[in-house]
Amino acid sequence: MLRTITPRNARVKRVLKNREAKTEENIKTAIFIRGSQTSQIVNDALADLYMLKKPYAVNFTKKNQIHPFEDHSNLQFFSQKNDASLFVIGTHSKKRPNTLTFARMFDHQLLDMMEVSIEKGTPMKDFKTPKSAIGMKPCFMFNGDMWDQNPHYIMFKSMILDFYHGQTVDKVALAGLEYVISVTSGPMTSEGKPGKIYLRTYTIVLKRSGVKLPRIELVEMGPSMDMTFGRMTEAKPDVWKQSLRVPKELKPKKKKNITKDVMGDTVGRIHLGKQDFDKIQTRKMKGLKKRTASTEDDKDSSEKKQRVDDSDDEE
Amino acid sequence: MDVSGVLEAHKQKFKSVSVEGKVIPLEYDLGLLTAIDQNPIDEAELKKNKDEYLQSLSRDNAQLLFNEIFQLPTISDDNGVMAMLPAPTTLLPREKPLPKPKPETRWEKFAKAKGIVNRKKERMVFDDNTGEYKPRWGYKGINDDGSKDWIIEVPSGANPMEDQYEARREAKKERIEKNDKRRQRNLEEAAVASKMDQKTVNKGERPNMDNARAMKRKEIENQILISKNSTASAGKFDEAIKGDLKPKGIKRKFEPNVTADLSKEKAGNMSILDRVVGKNGEDLVNVRKAIKATKSRK
Repeated sequence: MLRTITPRNARVKRVLKNREAKTEENIKTAIFIRGSQTSQIVNDALADLYMLKKPYAVNFTKKNQIHPFEDHSNLQFFSQKNDASLFVIGTHSKKRPNTLTFARMFDHQLLDMMEVSIEKGTPMKDFKTPKSAIGMKPCFMFNGDMWDQNPHYIMFKSMILDFYHGQTVDKVALAGLEYVISVTSGPMTSEGKPGKIYLRTYTIVLKRSGVKLPRIELVEMGPSMDMTFGRMTEAKPDVWKQSLRVPKELKPKKKKNITKDVMGDTVGRIHLGKQDFDKIQTRKMKGLKKRTASTEDDKDSSEKKQRVDDSDDEE
Repeated sequence: MDVSGVLEAHKQKFKSVSVEGKVIPLEYDLGLLTAIDQNPIDEAELKKNKDEYLQSLSRDNAQLLFNEIFQLPTISDDNGVMAMLPAPTTLLPREKPLPKPKPETRWEKFAKAKGIVNRKKERMVFDDNTGEYKPRWGYKGINDDGSKDWIIEVPSGANPMEDQYEARREAKKERIEKNDKRRQRNLEEAAVASKMDQKTVNKGERPNMDNARAMKRKEIENQILISKNSTASAGKFDEAIKGDLKPKGIKRKFEPNVTADLSKEKAGNMSILDRVVGKNGEDLVNVRKAIKATKSRK
């Protein structure tokens, strides 16, 4: 399908090298696609999610005949052409109204995908509040007790984190934490099915508090969506396992011979070599010397002295 | 002097930074700036004023998350105060598989054995001839083919009628060709080594190059022999090229015409027959085509 490109100048060569597999990966790019029929809610939702994902996002403005749960070969082509591994497909039909499908790729093949339908959505433009800058790293919050238990919730949490966490860094500027994405799980339905989930986005305002830690106030920025879960395709276990493999360079290095004992103190072991007892220098150790005749005489005289003293004591 | 009253009054002015009422403490994944609140949701509040309840819940959790973030060790940078984040605990899948390690090239092996370390060199070098700084390589560099000099002395052993400018240009072309050949050779050897040593490649280490070169050489020799046989007369009447490889170990063995032991001949013929038309030999001959061919010949 796609022709293999042989680089003819340095710029193309650099782009191809960037798209290769690496130990430390690039930030994942997301593609936002409209299906053959969309509604206003779906269009607004796609536009807002696109704004939050910029600049690592591609927006397909034209409508595509795409039904991911029936045929996901288009996704493979788009993924290879745009070097993108995340997809959001928005569709609307009578049977499945206001639906968003989140999909992930591994090695340009489908990894997993899930469908959510929006019950109620408020776009960003309806909130007349200041928005955060494009490309900032958000904080995340998952409220409710379902996030570790139900597979729908587990996948949704993984998707949201994968989409919006940006670059994995080891330090962050405290002034640069501008907004927070909060997802709350509602109660389960009476039939025992997963309930609604509420996605809200707020900007963070730090206020003085009299102590070192600031007081946090939130201002709703949008988008705000109430969603229910639809269909889901989980990842095949062996592919999933392969995708989670961490390269050797990024694994944390173990420190050998250092342990923490029961009391919490750090204890170290030092390995000394084997000592060769035949080669110890004993000539210079006074305590090991044999006693000669002169030293024995001294001993006798000292003994004699003691006896005399004893007799004195007795008297 | 009792200042506690003054402190209390001061504290009352500001809103509190502590959050009460969390039965289950929050779980944090600070590497991803995430907080997970397992406390059950107040369903009645959610029904009554959904958005306000969600906002107040989020505010409380954000406060707790920030309290944790602000307790991390910080360093001061040009960008302001930076908090050092721990590694993320949530496992997120990669987008591409792990890169396959490339095998060592001939130069890398030599450099390792000799202990040669690659030191970074400055781009600009001082050129004594012109007295200014020029790039070490590339456009207007000192590494040029030297044909821009206004005068070139004829070297002591060369033909005085030779064009020295042409000679320099040819020399540079040769160097480029040599380099390209070496790069190609490295690529081919790397491909052979990766194919042969799949086990270490899958483990994530560099494959063993030792047999790769011998294998590559054998492959090339085989290909030469095949191409020699690919003439119209199967390579028999070609002119012998000086310094060519003589095919080793190809000797035809002829059985004697009249043998005392005829059973061997029978066994040989039967095995051929078996392979062609026997039960095992159904794949060798396309019977349908053979019938058609004989029919058309007739």
